Amino acid sequence: MTVDFRKDFVNYEKSLNAASEDKNIRTAISRAVTSYRNTVAETLERFPHTPQLAEEVQEIKSQSMANLDNLVEQAMASVERNKGKAFYAKDHQAALEIALGIIGKGKTVVKGKSMLGEELHLREYLEDNGNEVWETDLGEFILQLRKERPMHILSPSIHVPREQVAEVFSKFFNKEVPPDIAEEVKVVREFLREKYFTADIGISGANVVAADTGAMVIIENEGNVRLATGAPPVHIVMVGVEKLVPTFQDAMKVAEVTWRYAQYGVPGYVNIVSGPSKTGDIEKVTTYGAHGPKEFYVIFVDNGRKEMAKEEKFSQALHCLRCGGCMYECPVFQVTAGHFGHTYMGGIGTIWTAFVSGGMEKAAPLVYSCLRCGRCVERCPMSINVPGMIGELRERIVYGKYED
Amino acid sequence: METKMPMVLDVISENIIKHGSPLALKGSEVASWAKGLNLPVKGELLFYTGGEYQMLPFIDSLVKTITHLDQGSKVFSMMMGARNLLNKTGFSPEKMYASVLAKDKDRYNSVCFKAAKVLKELEYEFCYSGNDELYSGALLYELGYLEDMEKYVQRVVEVIKKSGAKTIVCLSPHAAEVFKFIYPKMVKDFDFEIRTFVDLVWERREKLAKIQSKSVVIHDSCRLARELSIHQELRDILESVGVEVKEAAMNREWTSCCGGPIKILFPELSHVIGGRRVNELKESGSEHILTSCPYCLSALEGGLAKGDSAVIEDLIEFLYRGVKA
Repeated sequence: MTVDFRKDFVNYEKSLNAASEDKNIRTAISRAVTSYRNTVAETLERFPHTPQLAEEVQEIKSQSMANLDNLVEQAMASVERNKGKAFYAKDHQAALEIALGIIGKGKTVVKGKSMLGEELHLREYLEDNGNEVWETDLGEFILQLRKERPMHILSPSIHVPREQVAEVFSKFFNKEVPPDIAEEVKVVREFLREKYFTADIGISGANVVAADTGAMVIIENEGNVRLATGAPPVHIVMVGVEKLVPTFQDAMKVAEVTWRYAQYGVPGYVNIVSGPSKTGDIEKVTTYGAHGPKEFYVIFVDNGRKEMAKEEKFSQALHCLRCGGCMYECPVFQVTAGHFGHTYMGGIGTIWTAFVSGGMEKAAPLVYSCLRCGRCVERCPMSINVPGMIGELRERIVYGKYED
Repeated sequence: METKMPMVLDVISENIIKHGSPLALKGSEVASWAKGLNLPVKGELLFYTGGEYQMLPFIDSLVKTITHLDQGSKVFSMMMGARNLLNKTGFSPEKMYASVLAKDKDRYNSVCFKAAKVLKELEYEFCYSGNDELYSGALLYELGYLEDMEKYVQRVVEVIKKSGAKTIVCLSPHAAEVFKFIYPKMVKDFDFEIRTFVDLVWERREKLAKIQSKSVVIHDSCRLARELSIHQELRDILESVGVEVKEAAMNREWTSCCGGPIKILFPELSHVIGGRRVNELKESGSEHILTSCPYCLSALEGGLAKGDSAVIEDLIEFLYRGVKA
């Protein structure tokens, strides 16, 4: 079989060239890069123990990936012990079907931001199956209305300036929304508030999961995750297996390093959810479904991750905390944003494209647009050797040494 | 599975394998700078150019040809049909690169000459393989042609061994990188000491003559700064010649890439990245940019906007100012 990449390269080049001429992307990312570098420099100065903690986290991650099967088993048992229901999804399709099995049809779903959700095209799938789904992260909400995909993992609508937000909001809310950020935030707040309290289901991801306790740690600033996972009667967590670490203490370390490099400074909220809400206040009889959800489900998604964990040259890519720091340092990403990417973006995203979301054929042109300049490695708190992995992927592509 | 890669990758990899040069330059062309220097072919220290500076003006020409050819077009398909012909006759730089300006050719060719003169001035004795010198194969490594590289490097090593040298001094950090990190994995007993031009100058920097110049700003090459950890040395050298160094916000191991590595596949994007880096460097307050890598030199030159008065030079060219004629 022959795979001809030539057209793909041409089309990809066109999209990169177009993106590099887009003034919105250029302005937005220039601002974002400056602000990222300043905030991180300042918070690292305030919390100087961070680099050392990051080294500790590298070790935790590397042990966890070597021991992934056990961790999945342990975490599932922990969730069940906490009166939640745990599932393991081997692939993309299985993950979607499990979620749909829990949700059913005709439901209203509120959703927190999740790259795994993007990987699975979760919202579209649930909508196609007769559900109403709302993205509650402001950036994701904007993209939902614009029918676009995220251009950055943490700031998904980084490329959309306030004027364009006002335009899409005015149309959607059927009233004049001025290009004023505070006003824009307010209309969404009012709209979604009602959704949180009438939704049947809340879905979230998790930044890190402790296998010993079954604790899902979710970092956020907007407060949307708090509401989306707290108000509806059912909470579903969908999380990649690479987020697992052995203990609660480990999870705290991972979380702190994540938010520090993710420019949160100090995050507004760190949610820790381990099971359905409960009370024992009347006669010490435990009753589930107090103020929070009555039902709690966790779907651990593999979808190529375990294969990656087994590959010596690539398992380190699973250490990625999704802090997004590397993207700000990437000269290609700085001018093309998420166009240098498929679902996952930038250099590390290219590795993830090859193994998890897209496959080698989607990854090939991306693989060749990496400069291999190595600045991402300088920034990465996990020191992931992306240029080395890119080199390895190039060899596999040139000689067709891969299966898709 | 078999994969078909963009034509430019086929051309470059085949040229390296068949002609010992990514652009199929002849040995005599690559070595023309050394005429009159009477460098010995044997010695302890081997001066290695890899033909990299010499091919810079031709890369631009190749890139221009690609940029103007829509790879989806009929003309392009016809060229693809002509691949067999190209395979038999080899790539013909003479025809394809007829548009290259003589002044560009002269400038980049003379970088090697200037490097040799600087090292002579510092009383280094070295030899040079002349017409026999082969390209290091760094692009085979860079672009993923590692199986081909493994075979190819054996030929490069044969030429190197003929010199009898123990130490290789590389002008390009890309050559130094592969000699240092890749060759030992592919070649049995590859135990040469690998140095860069910057290393050697740094060791004897006290002997350099002072240079009259306004302040300069250093563009650290990614390979040099991150892979080879050479960045302070550049500053020390400039201090020795009495030139003030201004610093760009992103420098040393945090340096911004010049865009060069994707030039052959994504020329327009590479150009945008190069232009941004030029501006970043100019924000230092100096308009005199020095680098120490052939691809950075070429990419930054390419990124310079029309009418921009900034000067971009290789460190070699700058140091040559201090060499007695």
